[in-house]
Parts: sequence; structure tokens; C-alpha cells
Amino acid sequence: MPTPSKSKAVSKKTQDIRGFFGGKSNTKSELVDTHVKQSKAGAVKTRPIEISDDDQESTPQLPVPSKSASRKKPSALISSDEEDVPQSSHSRKKPAPEQKLDAKASFTEPRKKALKIVDSDEDYMDEDDLPNPPKPAKASKQPTTSKSISTDKAKPKTNVTGMDGARKTGKDDTKPSFKPNWVAAKATKMANQTNGPVNVPSPADPNCLSGLTFVFTGELDSLSRDEAVDLAKRYGGRVTGQPSSRTSYVVVGADAGPSKLAAIKKNNLPTLDESGFLNLIATRTPEKLDDKARKKIEKEELAIKQAAKEMERRERSSKNHADDLSNQLWTDRYAPQTLKEVCGNKIQVERLQQWLNDWPNSVKAHFKKPGKNGMNVFRAVLISGPPGIGKTTSAHLCARLAGFTPIELNASDARSKKLVENSTNVSNTSLDGWMAGGSATNAAGITITDKTCLIMDEVDGMSAGDRGGVGALVALIKKSKVPIICIANDKGAMKLKSLVSTCFNLPFKRPEAAAIRSRILTIAFKEKMKIPAPVIDQLVAGAQSDIRQVLNMLSTWKLSSNTIDFDQSKSLSKMNEKNSIMTPFDITYKMLGPYLFSATARETLGEKMELYFHDHSFMPLFMQENYLKTQPSRVKNESGPEKILKQLELMDKAASSISDGDLVDAMIHSSEQHWSLMPLHAVCSTVRPASYMYGHGGGYGSPNPICFPVWLGQNSKQNKLTRQLTDIQARMRLKVSGDRVEIRRFYVPALYPHIVKPLIDQGGSAVDDVIITMDEYYLNREDWDTIVELGVDEYRDEIVLKKIPAVTKTALTRKYNAGDHPVAFHKAVALGKSAKKLAAVGPAPDLEDAYEVDDELEEESEDKTNGDDDVSQDSLIKVPKKTAKAKGGAVAKAKATKTAVKKKSK
Amino acid sequence: MSLWVDLHRPRSLDDLHYHQDLSARLRALASSDDFPHMLFYGPSGAGKKTRIACTLKELFGKGAERIKIDQRVFLTPSKRKLDVNIVQSNFHIEITPSEVGNYDRVVIQEILKEIAQTQQVDVSARHRFKVVVINEADTLTRDAQAALRRTMEKYMSNMRIILCANSTSKLIAPIKSRCLLIRVAAPTETEMKLVLDFVAKRQGFGIDPEAAQEIVQDSGGNLRKAILVFEALKMQSPSLTGPLSIAKPDWETYCHKVADMIIQEQSPERVMQVRAKLYELLSHCIPPTIILKTIADRVVDKVDESLKADIMHWAAIYEVRMRVGNKKIFHLEAWVIKVMSLYKHFCFDIDMDAFD
Repeated sequence: MPTPSKSKAVSKKTQDIRGFFGGKSNTKSELVDTHVKQSKAGAVKTRPIEISDDDQESTPQLPVPSKSASRKKPSALISSDEEDVPQSSHSRKKPAPEQKLDAKASFTEPRKKALKIVDSDEDYMDEDDLPNPPKPAKASKQPTTSKSISTDKAKPKTNVTGMDGARKTGKDDTKPSFKPNWVAAKATKMANQTNGPVNVPSPADPNCLSGLTFVFTGELDSLSRDEAVDLAKRYGGRVTGQPSSRTSYVVVGADAGPSKLAAIKKNNLPTLDESGFLNLIATRTPEKLDDKARKKIEKEELAIKQAAKEMERRERSSKNHADDLSNQLWTDRYAPQTLKEVCGNKIQVERLQQWLNDWPNSVKAHFKKPGKNGMNVFRAVLISGPPGIGKTTSAHLCARLAGFTPIELNASDARSKKLVENSTNVSNTSLDGWMAGGSATNAAGITITDKTCLIMDEVDGMSAGDRGGVGALVALIKKSKVPIICIANDKGAMKLKSLVSTCFNLPFKRPEAAAIRSRILTIAFKEKMKIPAPVIDQLVAGAQSDIRQVLNMLSTWKLSSNTIDFDQSKSLSKMNEKNSIMTPFDITYKMLGPYLFSATARETLGEKMELYFHDHSFMPLFMQENYLKTQPSRVKNESGPEKILKQLELMDKAASSISDGDLVDAMIHSSEQHWSLMPLHAVCSTVRPASYMYGHGGGYGSPNPICFPVWLGQNSKQNKLTRQLTDIQARMRLKVSGDRVEIRRFYVPALYPHIVKPLIDQGGSAVDDVIITMDEYYLNREDWDTIVELGVDEYRDEIVLKKIPAVTKTALTRKYNAGDHPVAFHKAVALGKSAKKLAAVGPAPDLEDAYEVDDELEEESEDKTNGDDDVSQDSLIKVPKKTAKAKGGAVAKAKATKTAVKKKSK
Repeated sequence: MSLWVDLHRPRSLDDLHYHQDLSARLRALASSDDFPHMLFYGPSGAGKKTRIACTLKELFGKGAERIKIDQRVFLTPSKRKLDVNIVQSNFHIEITPSEVGNYDRVVIQEILKEIAQTQQVDVSARHRFKVVVINEADTLTRDAQAALRRTMEKYMSNMRIILCANSTSKLIAPIKSRCLLIRVAAPTETEMKLVLDFVAKRQGFGIDPEAAQEIVQDSGGNLRKAILVFEALKMQSPSLTGPLSIAKPDWETYCHKVADMIIQEQSPERVMQVRAKLYELLSHCIPPTIILKTIADRVVDKVDESLKADIMHWAAIYEVRMRVGNKKIFHLEAWVIKVMSLYKHFCFDIDMDAFD
């Protein structure tokens, strides 16, 4: 939020900034200019200056339209437009004729608009051409006008914006009349960037939607979902996913979700369609903030300022002994120093702190007393969570605050079994504290104590080189006398399985944007950056609550500019977007869903293809499995026979495209390996079918949910049966001339009445005949199973096997095994097999396990083998054991009596 | 007991019941010193393998009948192990390289070289060369066929190759030009009846001409199928009289069910049901081409005249695509949807006419 301090203060401030930049302007690059222009109060206000050089004249006029503004904004808007545009077109003769045309267009446009505005609120409808004039004007202007001029222009503008940001004082009231123009221009420019035919009206106020909560459902007529959400956020609205009683409006498009509609009904929510929504933007002015809210905001600001001051103070004091802080990364410089400063995960951090504080007592209690959180029976804690949310920071902070000296081992240290065992100070024998006399601090400014805390960072990164590391760590934890904090990103990893069970799990979650906002605002304030709150929210959302990334982004941005607006933040976070891999399920859901290919979708073909590349081996399979599960949007307006025919045509197109895709796939994976055909494969196998079949349905709850492709299972089954069939054919070859296919097609059905049916009809008495026939063809018992398995339809193995009584089957097996049988050939001996048999004596130890298990288990296993020996030998051996025990018992008794006697004698 | 097909298989060229002129030529070739590479081709169940075995016997005498099976392990360049079953006698060796799919080239190269480089040790052998029989030659990959080319010329002194294929269209021209092409056509109806009569006589009963006619009709020129069906029928009704119901093999009835499903209803749900059935057929080792052909035949039987050409046209197109592509089901499904679309259009056109 723009700082709503008193307008005077604001104007003063802006004055300062102006002066600041004005002074520098000659040397600063264009980049700076644009940033200056697009100063604080939002992107929107940059427009006026960009439209023409002569705006300077118009800017002084700003106050003129004055009171008429509040309701008649549109007309005021037009008038200003008219003033601007002709000037710009006349004054600049250099620009290309094109631009002139544009200017003319805009010249006539406003009149049309003026007419319409009078009669209705459809005003936004015809404004779609409006964006065009400013755009070329801007493009042409920048090269032609000198920098100093542009900065000059910037001055008035920043002035304006600053005031907008402030509450509306009487003076400010005049300004809104202008604002809409720039706002609209900017908004439509944004829309144009995405090539959409969107007619965004000029908003009544840049914060026209503030205080409102929106829910979008269904498909809007011309806005894509993202655009609509963006609009709502840009103008200060909140957007939530599900309607609730606190929702102000639900914007309902075509094919709205039934559950959302139900929620609307239940909560009696007001609904809007797209035009209504746009209308709201065009007409609504936010209510003035009441005292309470204002006070709250002021209080927040105060807090931010105080925090910043506190930071500065701390920095100054630390400067005495640390190096220059300006050399440090922001992430280090602004790392939280107190628990209060940790963003989010309050409960987890508190628990960690509590656990560390309780540590001495837990040691004394031998880890028997669970404590308040049940944590005190653990010697280690496993913190898990996504990167950049402060896991390491909190661990260090908690350890320091609890008086421990943190020793950190992370992935940059080798952490093999030996090193873990030797390099850590688990028995707590550090002499550091003693050596330094207990009061010295080490290089990092930590008071050295005799208490250490081991922080094993990035434990899921213990791999290849750190063989046995996890096992050693687990062993370490079991006997540790110092607290161990393990940190991992993914606690579900197989590697960490043993670790998870020995540690107390503290899952850290991504903090909400609100939790981070004030912290970032403080830092920004301290760095003298002007960042409105929505922009920070946008950055945080873009970085998926990764605080570290947000800070890094900001510190980079700071190098070029001190301000950042909504669109810049968007592009910035887009640039820094993490390459998150979606699951094939999500991608399929997205591709076949109603939005990706709808008329309002803004995704390019490239972006759609990108989805395929998330998982290029699975996506075609998923698409083939699921493309028939939608209600295609392309036929939703048809009905009756046409609909059916059209749908079949679409299915046909999709299926033939998938078929094409397979041909391309064959070329990619053939001996020629045309990998360059991957994009074509993406289109044929995934994008094109989805473009035909997209629509509703296929959701998780629907009757036809998206499934994992059965092709994989079926394929491996086919491979298995083919292998077995080949085996049968090889055996039968001595008698039969046919190849594999012939065997399957004709012999399997022909053998059925000879070797399977008798068992069904006659039961056990037929076993002998069956075995004779099998011997005739060198078939063994397993081949009999295969032949049954190969049947389809009424010869399906399940059906057939159900008909044969279990007794008969066992009779067949027993009898077959009892007799001698002709053997066509012996299977080639695979070299590996005998080795396997040897290994099979004991369970093959997993390598990782072998290291983990260590001596203890070895002893155990020895014990076991001993025990086995005893058991395997006959019962006689047990007797001496028993006697031995008895003897032992007797001895003990004797001793006892002896001592008793002694005592007595004493 | 063996099945009748195997029990009464002819063992020598003299025993063969039909294609007498072919037998005469084979006999002549076998007796001459100039025995060529040969390519036997023809539909399955016509007697190719039988003729090859007979020719081998003619070439080498009884010794060629004493066969044994060996399983050999080959290593691919990527160190994968391949099991290949090899049928061999002292005079010939028989391999089915298509068992190992894409690695057939390795098998061809290794085995052929090995045989080509060893001379016949048996002094009493009638011929200096050994014969290599390659089954399912039409499923050989291009690489494997290319590997054959040079060896066929280079090692002519030690080795002859007999290829056995269903059709020559999938063999490359250089191979065909190096072989003597021998077409083993499917037997005619009278020839098949003759064989059935012979089998019946050997089994000690007579066969009703009508029953023979029915069996022959059902078999579609596949003598193996005919004899197997004959035996099954005999088991069902020992008298072999009255109305015979020839039991179709399981996969065939299943294919017919699929065809009926396609005609009954045309909807996405139905396509998915059909897909499940197709998956089952494929996974139970029914070759996709056979599936497509059987279903297409059945569909064509049931639809209007004007649709038949279209349906077969698309079946042909998708059959080619199946051969080129990897995942057969994709093409089968595309064809099914195509047929559904064609059929539905046709149906609605009828409706429209009726309304007019």
C-alpha cells in the first residue's frame, strides 16, 4: 500500500526524490528514467508523460477539472484525452505516419466515447482501441526526446502519483479525473501485451476494488482467468479460490463449477458476470478508510519504521567488530536476529526453542520424560520443508539463543561415516569454552560455550560420496549428548527413512505472504526502496514464499532502481520463476481442462508444448489414456445428432493425431534417433488431441477421473506372455512346425480340449491323460499355466481356473512332479544364477544397510546363527544348555546364600 | 497323443499331397550339386515348413530329421543377455531371430559367421554345406536383413540359407534377388479335402464329404487350422454327422464381440470399452494385424455396402501405421473411432432421408 501519511509529507518526500533524480538525471540511463516515471502509486500514472512531450502544459492544468470528477469521470477523462492527443500528434511531426493515424483514431475515438458514456455504462466496450495511440507514442518518444526532458516530466508525474497514493484530500480530489486515463491505458496495454481482445474500462480509482474479495468461476467471455485475477489484484481486490460468507462478489462465467454455484446459493453471495465485473472497476470508488483502519495502517507503518531503525542501530553497533556490512548479501545482512523476526512457522520455531532449552534436563532424565511437546525423548530434530523459508536460519538462531554453539555440517562438507563419527563432538568434550575462558567470541560473533549443537544441514544431500553417512548419523543420534538438528527439503526421501524414525519431525511450511510482507517492507524501507504491499505480495507469490529468493530479487533490483510496480514485479518474478515440474496428472488435467484452449486463453503454442516437455515420455501416454474422458467444449453449443457427429469427428481427429504422434515417436526412437522431432511429437501426441477434446470432465471426483496409463501394465504383460509363448514354441518345435503366432492362434485353442478341458470335466481322473499329451509336446507344468493364461474371452485364465477344483490342480502338479518327463532342451545357464543361489542363503544385505547396521547387528546375526544351529541340531543339545542355566542359577543361589551367611555372621 | 496335424505330417517329398510339381523341382534341386539359397513364402498353414523339412531330408538323408534344441545366450553390445532357441541337426540349423526383437541383427551376424566359418566335419555327408533356416524372415529388421546380404554371397561354399516368410513384401530387394523364390500357395479346397480324407483314413474312420466341405470352408486355406478343427470336431461329436458347429478359437470370437460393440454404439465410453478389449487381445499375444483384420472383416460383414470400401481403406491405412509405429493400440483405436464416425454419419444420413 502506498504510504497513507499526510499529503504534505508525501509531497515533500516526492519533492526530495525529484530533486534527487533531477540532479542525477543527466548521467543516469534511460532505465532510471522509466523507473522514475513509473513511480510508486502504480504503473498507471506513467502514461501522461509518455503520451507527449507537451504534457508539461497539461500537467499544470491538472487541478482544473476539479469537482466534476467524482461521478463524471469518464467525461473528464475524455476531455483530458482530447487535450493530450492532438497536442502530441501536432507537436511531433517526426514520428511515422502510422502514429499519426493512431493519433487520429484516438482523436475521433473520444467523441464516440463521449456520446456513449452519456447514455450507458457500456463505456468500456469501445475503449478497446484506446490503447493503441499511447503505445506508438511511447515507442517513438523515447528515442526522440532527450533524457533531461523526460525526467522533467517525471517530476510532475511523481508528484501526482504520490498524492494518489495518499488519501484524498481536497486537493487530491481533482486528480482522479486524470488517473483513469492512464490507468486504462496501462491496463489495456497490459492486455495488448498478451494479445487478447480485452476491453478493460478505466477504473474509477486505482484502488477501486480495495476491500473486496472475489471468487472467479467458469469461463469469462473475453478475459482469461489469469487476466481477470490480475485485474482484481491490480485494483486492490483480493482473490480467493472458494466462495465463502466473506466473499464480496463471485464472478461467474460460462460452465461455472457446480460446487461453487452451490456455495453461492448457500451464502447468498452477489454474483457478477464479466461485464458486471468490468463495470465495477469502472464505477466503484472505495469507501474512505474509517479511523480504525487508518490507525491500523499508521501503526503498521510505525512498526516498520521502528524495525528499520532497530536494524540500523544493530548494524551500526556490529560494524565495530564485523566487516563492512555492505559487502554482505541481503540474506545475511537481514537474517533474523531474534525469534520474533522469523517469518512464519512460529509454532515450530517455538518448539525447537523449547526443546533446546529443555536439553540439559532431558539429558539428566536420560530422555525418558517426554515434556510438553513430547519432544524431549528425542536427541535430534528433523526440520523439513521447501527451500528459502528459513529452516537453517531458525536452527542457528534457536541454537544460539539457547546458548549452544552451533556446528554446521552441510552438503559442502564430506559426511561419510567416518567423518561424521570423528568430526562431530557428540560426547560434548569441546574445550573451546575452557580455552577461551568462557567469554571470548569466535569469528562469527558467537559466544563460545561448552555447549555445542550439531546442525546437519541438507541431510537429503548425503549421497554417493557420503556413503553410509545417514546410517552413521542415525547411530550418532542414538548416543549423542549434544542436540542434533537435521535439516532436509524432502523428508519423504527413501534415504532418510531411518533418520525420520529417530528424529522428532518438525515440518516447516511456506509462510503466508502476509507473514513475510512486513519483514520485506521493513527491509525495503531500510534500503530506501519504495515498494507497495501488493507488489510484495506478488513477488512472494511468484517466488512461492521463498524469502531468500525475494530478498535476492530485491537486492538485484535495487542496483537499477529504487521503485518497483506491479507489472515489474510480475515480470521479475516470472524471470526468476522456479522451474517446477508438474506431475503428468496435473498437466493432463490442465491440458484437457476447459481453459487452456478456450477462446480467452492466452497461452501460446510454445507454452502448451512446454507442458509436454515436463515429462515427455509420460505425457503422450496420459493423453491417450484420458482424451476421451471430457465433454468437449467445442460441441457444447450443439445438440442432438450434430453434437454426436461433431464429437465423433473430434475424437477421430484427436485419435488420428495420436496415431501420427506414434509414428513420430517411432522415428525418434528408431535407429536414426531424430530427436529434433520432439516438438513435432509434442504437438501431435499431446497438444493437438487436447485442442480437440478439451472440456469439462475428467476431474478427480468425476465419474471418469484421469487415470494412470494402462498401456504400461498391458505392455509389460504382453512382453511377459510373449516370452513365455516363445518358450512354449521352442519346446513344441520338435513336434510342431508353426511359429509363435500360429501356436497362439491355433494350437492353444486346439490343445485346450486335450489338456485343460478334461480337468474341468473329469477332474482328477483325467490327470494322467493330460500329462501324456503334455509330454508329447514337451510341455511342463509351467507351460500348462501359460497356456491357460493365454486364453481370452471364455477361456480367460480366471474363468478357467475357477472351474478347475483346487484338488485337481494339486493332483496335476504332484503327479507331474512325481514322474519323469521328456525334456526338449535345457535352459541355457545364466552365469548370474548360481551366484544368486549362494547369496540366497542369507538375506542379501542392502549396501546402505550394511553400513548402518554396524557391529551391533553383526553380533546379533552371530547370535542368531548360533541359535539356528542349536535348533537345527536335535533336542539333545538343549539339555546341556538348560543344565548350564540351572547350574548358573545354582551358583547364583549359592552365592546369595553365601553372602547371606556373611551378613548374618557380621 | 500328439495332435493329428503333427502325427500325420508328411516326412518326405514323396509323401506330400499337393503342389506335386513343386515337390519335383525341390527333389531335382536337392539332387543337384548346385543348391541355391531359397526363400519359401506363402500363407501360414500352406506347408512351407513341412516342405523345408522334406527338402532337408532329401538333401541330407535321415540325419536331418534328428533334431535337437539348444538355447544359446548372446550378448548385445550393451551387455544385455539374449536367449535364443536354436533347433539343429548335424546338417542344418534353424533360428527364429525375431524372438529377440530389435536385436535380431546380433543373432544373425554371430550365428551365420560361426556356421560359415566351420566346415562340415562329417565326411560321409552328402553335401559340403550346412543349411541355415531362418524362420519368420519377414519380421527381420532392416538391419538384420542388411547383415544377411553380404554373408549370403561370401560364405556360399559353406552355407546355404533357407528363408521362410509369409510374404516377400517386407524383405529388401537385395535379399530377394539372392534367393530362389519358392511360393507355397495355400491348398485348394479339393486338395484340402484330400488331405482330410487321408488323415481320417489313417485314424481309421471315414469323413463325410459335407463335413469336410464345412471344415475346409471355415479354414480359409489354412491346412493346419483345418486339421486341428477336424480333430476338435471329432472329439465333440464322434459321428461327425448332423449340423456341425465349428468352434472358433477364443480370440476370434472375442474379436467378433469387439466388432459388434463398435456397431452397437458409437460413443467415447464405448471406445474406452473397446480399448480395454483390444488391450486384452494384444497382451494375450494376438498379433495386432490379425486383430485388425478379424474385426474389420466382421464389421464389413455387418454394415451397409457403401461403407465397406471406406472401412477397409482405413483398415489398410492403419495397418501400415501399426507396422511403422511402436504402440499398436494407438492405431487400432484411431481406426475404431474412424469406423464409428463413418458408421454414425451413415446412420444419421439414413435418418435424415427417412425424415424427408
